[in-house]
Amino acid sequence: MLKSIQKYQGWISLLARLVLGGVLIAAGALKAGNPAHAAMAVRAYQVLPLTLANILGYALPWVEMGAGLALVIGVAVKAAAIIGGGLMVVFIVAIAQAWARGLSIDCGCFGGGGTVAPGHTAYVQEILRDTGLTALAVYLFRFPHGKFGLDKAPQAE
Amino acid sequence: MASANKTGNSSKQPQQKGMRGLVIGMIVFVVAVGAAFAVISNQSIKSLKLPSSVSKADGYGITFNPTGTPKIDIWEDFQCPICNRFEGINGNYINQVIQAGHAKVVFHTMSFIGPESILAANAGACAANSGKFVQYHAALYNNQPTTENSGKITNPWLTLIGAAAGITDPKFASCVNNGDYINWTKNIEADAAAKNVNATPTVFLNGKELDRNTQYMDAAAFKKALTDAGVK
Repeated sequence: MLKSIQKYQGWISLLARLVLGGVLIAAGALKAGNPAHAAMAVRAYQVLPLTLANILGYALPWVEMGAGLALVIGVAVKAAAIIGGGLMVVFIVAIAQAWARGLSIDCGCFGGGGTVAPGHTAYVQEILRDTGLTALAVYLFRFPHGKFGLDKAPQAE
Repeated sequence: MASANKTGNSSKQPQQKGMRGLVIGMIVFVVAVGAAFAVISNQSIKSLKLPSSVSKADGYGITFNPTGTPKIDIWEDFQCPICNRFEGINGNYINQVIQAGHAKVVFHTMSFIGPESILAANAGACAANSGKFVQYHAALYNNQPTTENSGKITNPWLTLIGAAAGITDPKFASCVNNGDYINWTKNIEADAAAKNVNATPTVFLNGKELDRNTQYMDAAAFKKALTDAGVK
C-alpha cells in the first residue's frame, strides 16, 4: 500500500493539483466577473464588519484564481496548498456558523450567493465538498512535488 | 548517457529556477492588481450624471414624494424572478400609494444579477427622466425573460418596452442607447453594499427591514405593515 502510494505519488499529486487548482480557478473566475454579487455573498454570512466584508468580496476571487493557477502550473505548490486549504477551512467554518445561526444563505462559492428562501439552502453538500478539497490541500502540503510541475523536487529520481 | 544527463541537468537548473521565480512573481502581480482594481472600481463614484429625482441622501434611488412620510425603500433587480412575484402581489398597491402621495417611495434598482440588469437599470433611470418610471417598471416585469442574462435584454428591446409603457419622449431612446446612467448603477450597488442589502427584493419601512418570511409575499400583511406605519 505504502509502496504503491510512493510509486504513484507524483501522479496523485498532479491529480490533486489539477482538481483543487481547477476548482479554485473556476470559483474565482465566476465571481470576479460579478464583484457586486460576490460582495453580497460575503455580507450574507453576517460575520465581518460591512466594509471588510465588501472588500473581501471584491478581492477574494483574485486570490482564489492566483492560488489555483499556481497549483495547476505547479509553482509554489506548498504555499498555494496552504492558501487553498486555509480558504476551505474558513469556508467550512463560515457555512457551519450560518447554518447553526439559522441563516438562509447560498454559499456563493461559484458566483451567486446572498440570502435565499428558507429550505433553499445546501449546507451539507457545501461542507462535504469543501472538506474533500481540504483533504487534497493537506495531501499537497505533505507531497507537493508531482509530475509536470515547475517546482524542483528535493532530489532527482 | 548518465554523464550527459547530469550535465544537461546542471545547465538547466538555474534557468528553471529563474523561470519559477518569474511565474510566481507574475501570479502575485496579477492577483494584487486584479484585487486592487476590483476594490477601487466598486466604490461609489463622486461626480457623475444622476437621473432626476435621485439624491445621495436617498442612496441614489429613484424617489417619489420626497417630502412624504413614511419612507419605503425597495431594493430590486429587474432580472430577479422573486422581485417579479413581489411586483405581482404588491405592485398595484405601491403605485396607488405613490399616486396618492401617501408615502415617500425610493426604488433602488440593483444590477448584481449581471450585465443585462445594468442595461435594464439604466433604462429605468431614463424612463424616470421621461416621467414614466412607474409605468416602465410595470412593463419590464410584465415582459421579464424567464432566464437571467439570456441575451434577450438589449438596448433595442428596452426601447421597445418603453413604447409599450407609453413613453413618447424622444430623449428616452438615446438615453437608453448611450447608456447615460450606466455609471450610476454602480452607486446603487455601492450604497446597497453599505446598507447590508443581501437579497432582492428587500423592503425597508422607515429604515427598518420588513419580515422577509411573513410580510413580503402576502398582500394583506404588506398593506398592514404600511398602514401601521401611517400610510393612509
